[in-house]
Amino acid sequence: MPYLPTTQAFLEQSALLLEAYPETTRITTKYSFPTERRAQQHKREKSLAKKQASSTTETAPTDSTPSAPIASLTLKTYNPATGVCLKYRTNKLQEVSRLMTGLGKLAGGADVASLGLSGPGADVEMVDAPAAEEEVVQTQSGKAPAGGKGKKKGGKGKR
Amino acid sequence: MAPPLSHDEFFSSLTNLLSKTSEKARGSVSLTQKPLVDSASNSPPSTLIRITDGNTSAPNPKSADKAGKITKNTSSKVKFSTVVKPEELEAFYTRYAELCKSGMTGMKKRDRKRKTKAKGGATKAVKA
Repeated sequence: MPYLPTTQAFLEQSALLLEAYPETTRITTKYSFPTERRAQQHKREKSLAKKQASSTTETAPTDSTPSAPIASLTLKTYNPATGVCLKYRTNKLQEVSRLMTGLGKLAGGADVASLGLSGPGADVEMVDAPAAEEEVVQTQSGKAPAGGKGKKKGGKGKR
Repeated sequence: MAPPLSHDEFFSSLTNLLSKTSEKARGSVSLTQKPLVDSASNSPPSTLIRITDGNTSAPNPKSADKAGKITKNTSSKVKFSTVVKPEELEAFYTRYAELCKSGMTGMKKRDRKRKTKAKGGATKAVKA
């Protein structure tokens, strides 16, 4: 039961699963608030109060959510026949409409290509990765005698 | 199970349920979609959408004495569904997504100004 890292990945994988088992796969979207025991609630309110007290300029986030827990949205694509289950979780409101329209496309039987998500993201990663590796190799060969510690420090500071 | 609702009824029930849940800041709402397979016809299947609040009506024995009154009043499980035909899918989901966005008010909102401020402060703190 993996949680997928991005919306795109979730929609893509779900599309694949739906393609393979269109009749039995279901998608569940759960909008839920975290369950809190009284002690937890107390703790959260305390820490909120502390934050407010310590940073008087940054009262904005606490003002917008007056001691209410943050709800989350969990999406689950499940195929009971094979036991495949894909999940995605978010707490950002801005992602909701994108996810829901994505689900609409999936319900309409869209495949991965027509979701229009897969190509560019993967390509960029592929281009970036080798370049980064080369850099690492270069710095390694240049400062080989310096040892692991020095290398790490130098890399972080310059970038 | 009760017969599927019309889209308008469905949307109003969902709005109601989402706003109630958000107000209480407790509990959850589950929205499930699956194809409604009709073996008789070869046309693309309709989509069945089911909503429930996941309320198990059996009261929790631990909290029975404290929350007993409350659970007794609201113990009935909310459950409703609708069927979307393939040709209505797009219009339905546009409305559905909009409704979800406006109903799920308990989630993190996007506040550009505030967020950038907070972020700037955070990164500064990390660097220092």
